[in-house]
Amino acid sequence: MPPLELLLQQALNGVMLGVMYALIAVGFTLFFGVLDVIHFSHGDIFMLGAFAGLSTLLGLAAAGVRAPVAALPLAFVAAILVTGLVGVLAERVCVKPLARSSPLMTLLATLSLGLVIREAVLIFYPRGADPKPFPQLLPQGGFEVAGVSVRYENLVILGIGVGAMLLVDLIINRTKMGAAIRAVAQDPEAAQMMGVNLDRTVDATFFLGSGLAAVGGILSGLYYSEIHFIMGITGGVIGFSSAAIGGLGNVYGAILGGLLFGVLQTTAAALIPRGSEFRDVVAFAVVMLFLIVRPRGILGEKSVERV
Amino acid sequence: MSLLLVWLAEVVVFALVAAGILAERPAALAATGATIVLAGALVRFLAPLRMGLAAGFARHHAAALAGGATLALVLPLTLRASPYWTFVATLALLYVTIGQGLNLQIGTAGVINLAGAAFAGLGGYSVGLLTVTAGWPAWLAVLVAPWIAVTVGAVLFVPILKTRGHYLALVTIAFGFIFNILMNNLEFTGGPQGLKNIPTLRLFGWAFTSKPALAGLELPAHANFYYAALLVAGITTWALRRLHDSWLGLALNTLRDDEIAARCCGVSLTRGKLVAFSIGNFFIGLGGALYAVMVGFVSPPDFDFGYSLVMLSVVIIGGVDSIPGVVLGACLLVPLPERFRFLHEFRLLLYGVAIVVMLLYRPRGLWPAAVRRYR
Repeated sequence: MPPLELLLQQALNGVMLGVMYALIAVGFTLFFGVLDVIHFSHGDIFMLGAFAGLSTLLGLAAAGVRAPVAALPLAFVAAILVTGLVGVLAERVCVKPLARSSPLMTLLATLSLGLVIREAVLIFYPRGADPKPFPQLLPQGGFEVAGVSVRYENLVILGIGVGAMLLVDLIINRTKMGAAIRAVAQDPEAAQMMGVNLDRTVDATFFLGSGLAAVGGILSGLYYSEIHFIMGITGGVIGFSSAAIGGLGNVYGAILGGLLFGVLQTTAAALIPRGSEFRDVVAFAVVMLFLIVRPRGILGEKSVERV
Repeated sequence: MSLLLVWLAEVVVFALVAAGILAERPAALAATGATIVLAGALVRFLAPLRMGLAAGFARHHAAALAGGATLALVLPLTLRASPYWTFVATLALLYVTIGQGLNLQIGTAGVINLAGAAFAGLGGYSVGLLTVTAGWPAWLAVLVAPWIAVTVGAVLFVPILKTRGHYLALVTIAFGFIFNILMNNLEFTGGPQGLKNIPTLRLFGWAFTSKPALAGLELPAHANFYYAALLVAGITTWALRRLHDSWLGLALNTLRDDEIAARCCGVSLTRGKLVAFSIGNFFIGLGGALYAVMVGFVSPPDFDFGYSLVMLSVVIIGGVDSIPGVVLGACLLVPLPERFRFLHEFRLLLYGVAIVVMLLYRPRGLWPAAVRRYR
């Protein structure tokens, strides 16, 4: 049995990963809420966000802006705008036109769109096949509490992630657009009768969800100091898993699911032999077992089927 | 008269396909492309021709099939200058087998399976382990491997029965990832290098690596596998066509369309999904097993998520629940990217765009499933 400090340390690392997963998962769950679809290219939009952020940072550095306080917020804004627009475009082109037909169509269409985004980054980003180093902009160093080492860098990442989620929570619960999103998620037809513009609400949801994925992408770059064009595949599957554990359609469920998945991964890595290689096997296996017990996730609504 | 028209149409299609494959120079390729477009336009806009063809194919069903089979047998002779294209044609036939299995699961029974590559990989790795590690002869390994895919698939029964829709999709995606990570990291599967030196098939003293000669014409060694894959694809398609048209196929369709109504009519949900999933995995595993003996090695990237996507697109672009559609889908989606190899890195990008465009404009597939008719 590993010492308690190690477990605490891994739990903290798990929370770090979990925040990034949660940022992706919230998008999945929001899209599912308004259109009842899984947007499988969302993982690649997360990757696109990381690359958009990196390009902005490199551009700013070339222009002489190197101070993290100025460069990072600009990178976030630029990445959110890029992915938000790509997300809305993806929804207009291949999610909404197919949303009424069989879910299989959306599945294949969004998976193929993910392939297109991935290949586009590979081809059009200079030397896109190599992993790209991400600049270290956050304060280095750290301190130790009860045998657990805490890095300043990670605290900032955690803070930004939690801040982004609180902001989304505010938007969804306190603004008019948020009310429209909730209304459409509950019943699109009734919402339209109440004067909600369905198309605009769906667009806003996709902008919001994709922008959040961009925040996750940049945070992931800062955390690992490296990004790669294939990071969207695993990122997407983990984000989808998190949203599903939490219960599709429930934002808090997605956050909870993301944190659980992260902690599950790091705990598995600490507890089993050769854990770093097999941690995803354990995590996915637990997700599958979990879905047997709760086929609709932790906070998923219990549905009654009618003929 | 109409019989001749049918055969003529088949020969024309065959000639165009062969020309499309063999055209090397850009000018020849462009000319072939233009002819294909022209032929398509003629059939599309000349009403008498279209009606005549439709009536002919409807009336001479068996003769049309026989003609198609003959041309499929002749294909390696036209491709004999190019072992590579014989290999691609064989690969397309393996995808027919895999696609039919996947179509039974997804199309007929509505059990979404996004781990097609993992089940094919189970077949392939089983062959590798049985021959290289255990020393079995290849033919025995190929016969046993599909059953291993079925058995491992049984592990997934419980989550598959419990979950619906998108949650089910997640269960199969997760399984595919687990399979790939395990193959990459376990020692007895060779890790990232995979298993090498899988012995080739040997039937009645005939090794599949020796070149067959027909009446003085020597064919590339891959032609052996072409004919084996053709036989397997033919049997699979025939068997699954019979299954689809049987009471079992009908029961699976009702399960797909409305589970509760189907159960009210006495269709067992558990048994239906179990049967469809197992039979499907059998054929997917068989395709993977044949792939392993054909190329002689298996490694994790051969069975990653991207290939599950290709298998899924074969079924959906061909036509969900459409047996001929799967054949068409496999014969288009596997060779076409190879033909466009000269596009280099833009190939996969355009492949993705093409799939999206097809879904938007032909959402029911290229050869939509016919409405069931009972007489």
